[in-house]
Amino acid sequence: MALLLILIPLASIILLNIGFKNAMTKLAIWLSLAVSAWQVAMIIFKVGFDSLNLVNVFNLEIDGLSSVLLLSIGIVAFCSILVGNGTICCPKKKFNFYNLILLSIIGMNGIVMVRDLFSMYVFLEITAVSAFILIAYQEDKFSMEGSFKYLVLSAVATVMMLSSIAILLMYAGNTSFVMVRDAVQGMNSPLVLTAIALFVVGLLIKGGLVPFHGWLPDAYTSAPASVSAFIAGIVTKTTGIYTMIRIVSEVFGFSETIKMILMIVGLISIFVGALAALGQNDFKRMLAYSSISQVGYIILSLGTGTALGVAGAVFHLFNHSIFKTQLFINSAAVEKQTGTRDMDSMSGLSNVMPVTGWTSVVAFLSTAGIPPLSGFWSKLIIVIALWKAGYYWFAGLAIIGSLITLAYFLYMQRRVFFGKINVNFKDIKEAGASIIIPAIILAAITLGVGIFFPYFINTIIVPVSSVF
Amino acid sequence: MNTLLLPVIIPALAALAIFLIPKKWPMREIFAVLVAVFNAIIAWYLFKKDMTLVFPWGGAWGMEFSFRLYGFSGFTLLATAFFALLIAIYSTSFMKDKEHVSQFYAYLLLILAQINGVVLSDNLILMLFFWEGMLLTMFGFIAIGGKKESIHTAVKAFIINGTTDLLMMAGIAITGYLAGTFTISQISLQTGGLASLAFILLIIGAISKAGSMPFHTWIPDAATDAPLPFMAFGPGSFEKLVGIYFLARICLNIFTLSPGSGLSTMLMIIGAITILAAVMMALVQKDYKKLLSYHAISQVGYMILGIGTALPIGIIGGLFHMLNNAIYKDCLFQTAGAVEKQTGTTDLYKLGGLASKMPVTFICFVIAALSISGTPFFNGFFSKELIYDGALESGMIFYLAAVVGSFFTAASFLKLGHAAYFGTPGESTHNVKKDVPLTMLVPMIVLAVLCIFFGVYNAYPLNAYFMPIIGAAANGHSFSGMPANFTLVIITILVLVLAYLNHKYGVKKFGAGIKAVDHIHHAPVLANIYNMAEKRYFDPYELGLKFVRIFSKASFSVDRGIDWIYNHLSVRATQVATNGIKKAHTGNFSMYIAWSLGGMIILVIWILRTVR
Amino acid sequence: MILTLILLTLLVLAAVWTVMTRSLMMSAVGLALTSVILSIIIFTLNSPLAGVFELSVCAGLITVVFISTMSLTKPITRTEFKKQTKDRIKRYWYMPVIIILIGLGCALMLTAPDLKPLTPAIENDVRNVMWKVRQTDVLGQIIILLAGVFGVVVLFKERKKND
Repeated sequence: MALLLILIPLASIILLNIGFKNAMTKLAIWLSLAVSAWQVAMIIFKVGFDSLNLVNVFNLEIDGLSSVLLLSIGIVAFCSILVGNGTICCPKKKFNFYNLILLSIIGMNGIVMVRDLFSMYVFLEITAVSAFILIAYQEDKFSMEGSFKYLVLSAVATVMMLSSIAILLMYAGNTSFVMVRDAVQGMNSPLVLTAIALFVVGLLIKGGLVPFHGWLPDAYTSAPASVSAFIAGIVTKTTGIYTMIRIVSEVFGFSETIKMILMIVGLISIFVGALAALGQNDFKRMLAYSSISQVGYIILSLGTGTALGVAGAVFHLFNHSIFKTQLFINSAAVEKQTGTRDMDSMSGLSNVMPVTGWTSVVAFLSTAGIPPLSGFWSKLIIVIALWKAGYYWFAGLAIIGSLITLAYFLYMQRRVFFGKINVNFKDIKEAGASIIIPAIILAAITLGVGIFFPYFINTIIVPVSSVF
Repeated sequence: MNTLLLPVIIPALAALAIFLIPKKWPMREIFAVLVAVFNAIIAWYLFKKDMTLVFPWGGAWGMEFSFRLYGFSGFTLLATAFFALLIAIYSTSFMKDKEHVSQFYAYLLLILAQINGVVLSDNLILMLFFWEGMLLTMFGFIAIGGKKESIHTAVKAFIINGTTDLLMMAGIAITGYLAGTFTISQISLQTGGLASLAFILLIIGAISKAGSMPFHTWIPDAATDAPLPFMAFGPGSFEKLVGIYFLARICLNIFTLSPGSGLSTMLMIIGAITILAAVMMALVQKDYKKLLSYHAISQVGYMILGIGTALPIGIIGGLFHMLNNAIYKDCLFQTAGAVEKQTGTTDLYKLGGLASKMPVTFICFVIAALSISGTPFFNGFFSKELIYDGALESGMIFYLAAVVGSFFTAASFLKLGHAAYFGTPGESTHNVKKDVPLTMLVPMIVLAVLCIFFGVYNAYPLNAYFMPIIGAAANGHSFSGMPANFTLVIITILVLVLAYLNHKYGVKKFGAGIKAVDHIHHAPVLANIYNMAEKRYFDPYELGLKFVRIFSKASFSVDRGIDWIYNHLSVRATQVATNGIKKAHTGNFSMYIAWSLGGMIILVIWILRTVR
Repeated sequence: MILTLILLTLLVLAAVWTVMTRSLMMSAVGLALTSVILSIIIFTLNSPLAGVFELSVCAGLITVVFISTMSLTKPITRTEFKKQTKDRIKRYWYMPVIIILIGLGCALMLTAPDLKPLTPAIENDVRNVMWKVRQTDVLGQIIILLAGVFGVVVLFKERKKND
């Protein structure tokens, strides 16, 4: 079954591209929606795990952590496809967009399912390539620049990861997680430690943490609206954060140094991201810095090294993909209807765009960690994990970071959505159904996970600890 | 799905549906009535059954979702369903031209769901959840009243009830701690020490919901500011049912109240004071609805007095009175609503002579007024006699308080009846052409009939509903039929005659029905007390507000200093940091790569430090 | 040992020249040169198959792709060129310095005795490795190629039409 998650999108792409251009162009959206919806359904209903014998041939496994990510991938892809339908201008570009999304899905499914360092690198590359093209395909100056920055820093990250894999291969004889772990645990040689450091840095670059985040604001801001939602929502998370969680828990182990590095990097990211977001005028740029901040929380929680910390990190990862995608969808709606991203020139949009306004309130309350939304629970688990592990200062600083998050989001809400309607925008209407439906779905998920949290704690959180 | 969940889920979903459907849809009244009917059918089906429904929910901290249906809760469920149905039918006409009709019906169904939840739940925390829900729904109810003061009254009700709910929460926490569990059916504590404190806190919550003194001050305000059907079933019936239900459970199940104990005396004192003070206030009201609302408060005093005696006869009396009061109070409020609808006002100065114009309403009023005064053969008489009996056994002074209360009750209703229905027609009565529509008359008539039915045939409610609650403590006594102690009956009849004479005297002296009790109003000591009461000196809410204002002025100055640290210092610091970071992000890609490489070098050196 | 050092030095010099040279065409040539030297190093490490791949793909295919892409662009005018390359030395002088310092630092820190590479039992047959052990990677590589081709088509087909 795990293999199907890769083969079915691949088959879809081949099917869409072999001919019959007109029919296929119309079919493309439905096919891609079906693929992502199928992925979500598979994970929710846990159908057919290990039922195909082909699993053994292709060394792919799905466990608790992978299924959380697969679910997120499915949901975010579904919503991005809908948003793409609403914001992209011409059918030809839409067709390319859907194909590229399907490619990214293949790449990300692969990343979360492999158990081997080199395979992970290969699928990372697939995701990265499709991401570059996705960011750039509007072909205007800024997207090209954003894509280029992502490309170069990604290449730097790749270099580091490959050299690290090479050194580890030298020591372990194979690159699968198990064998590398056996060879590396407790080993103290400087070369292995350098390899570990390089790999971690590579992943930090991919994840967009300070100080390796240089590409992130430009890439997120200049990408087209639906692509921003997709990349911010899931690509960075899978390529950077999931890989970090997987590698550090399963391969390198939580040594004191790694834990401290993760926690410090996480903490710095929280504050730099939040403080930078406070000063932004461009809607999407603010959301990009906010992403850096939230990813900082995930890494901070991961750095505690306890089962609760890892569970909190994974839960916050899931929540973040949901609400960050939603915020980007809202910014897409606003951008499409008003034609601008400058927050100073907007005000009172909630009067004419009520759904966008209210779903963005749900999303930002979840980001700031207000009960009873899902973000509150994950932040609570993170703070509790920090406290229980004895890092009292970190817990306090994390809470202060949450306050700053609340501050800049309130500022954004007040500037963009609430207040008197700006005269220029009096006549605009709510964005089309294609953009509203994903926003409502994601808001419902945020609310649902938050309110029904006692149910989820047994189905999502506890199995994740199986990673540990 | 388990049937026990239906009384809660169906009305709640229906309330949500009414919220969501657009305003233009004319069927929402019918829909609400249908849901009320459905609820009543389920309640009837569940009555007399014993069921429990438990599922663990979240697991931690004793938070179980457990419902329990047994005699008492089944009865209360049925009673609530019945009143809800009557009010729903009544409201279809009354609310026809008012504002916020959708919200009204939605809140009605919602509060029904919440009350069902409170009555059915067996877990203190679950009950607290529904209890708090009622608080919010009540706020919504009052706020849609449409008058200028509605929001203020809604806030006042919310604060008073919210504060007592907080105290009740503390009581629940202590109870749970002492008993080791939060499941009501498993708790059985003795009073004394910390348990007494828990008892008092729980009682505060229960009686405040029922509307006794000193937590009553929002009810008269709500009388004018909230829509009338709310008054009919809120302070009129629902809240009494729920509050006294919880009070009874506290005294019977959670703790075992023993007669003559300090707590029992305390309850009786609260009951007695409530009876007297409220009825004195009722006496001098000039507005139909306000007068009725003060009586509602007064009648709660009887119930608390009855249950507070801790004797079987008193408890049965108190519970029976709970049912009877709901019946006749509901009927009285509905007559007030009928008058308001036809004349447009409830100011007694403007009314008069309605008896001939609205005959059915008038007859229902008479029956209900006779019941509330305790006239023999009506239902109020029997429950009051039981309470008198119990009060007399506990102490002469309580009995006297109850009897004097009856006197004033009768007097004030004579005044009300005379002012509204007899005498020279007031300025507003001229507009009345006929009586109210059938949908408003039918509930009134049903209730009036019940007054007589439960009076004459009082064996039925007593044996069917209330004896099972007392259980073994009844000791084979039969409380039905005429009261055992005939002397009490004589005294009651005497009191009624006295009240009538007093009324005649007042009318002769002052000329109009409405002034019939002015002699009491302007009596030496009482006049000053009345003045102060009208200036709201006795209102704990107002006193609380005054205190709060002084306190807030004092802490304001302290706050300024702390404010500077928060508002100025931290904001400046954040701004400096933000600007610094903004400047650092120049967009120059080489810088970014340099940062990355720099970070990498630092990390590598850091990791390698562990080798040394 | 001496041969390896010479080759490595040449490699670094070629790479630096590729980056620092002014003309884009020269950079492409420099890339080809770097990969030639790299493949020679691989040959000396007893991996002929990898060396052949490196040579053909990087020195051959990639250079062809680069040069054909460059033929699609317009050259910039002389004034713009002068403006861009004005104070390159002044802006970037510290880069080689830092690289040399890092190299020295690594050399000093990594002279721990256990630098001897281990020789674990690695599967040596390439075909076996590719088709039996690393199937996921082969599938992944095929998909990457597909992605790359798709990307080129998406990004450049439009341009050709617009031109």
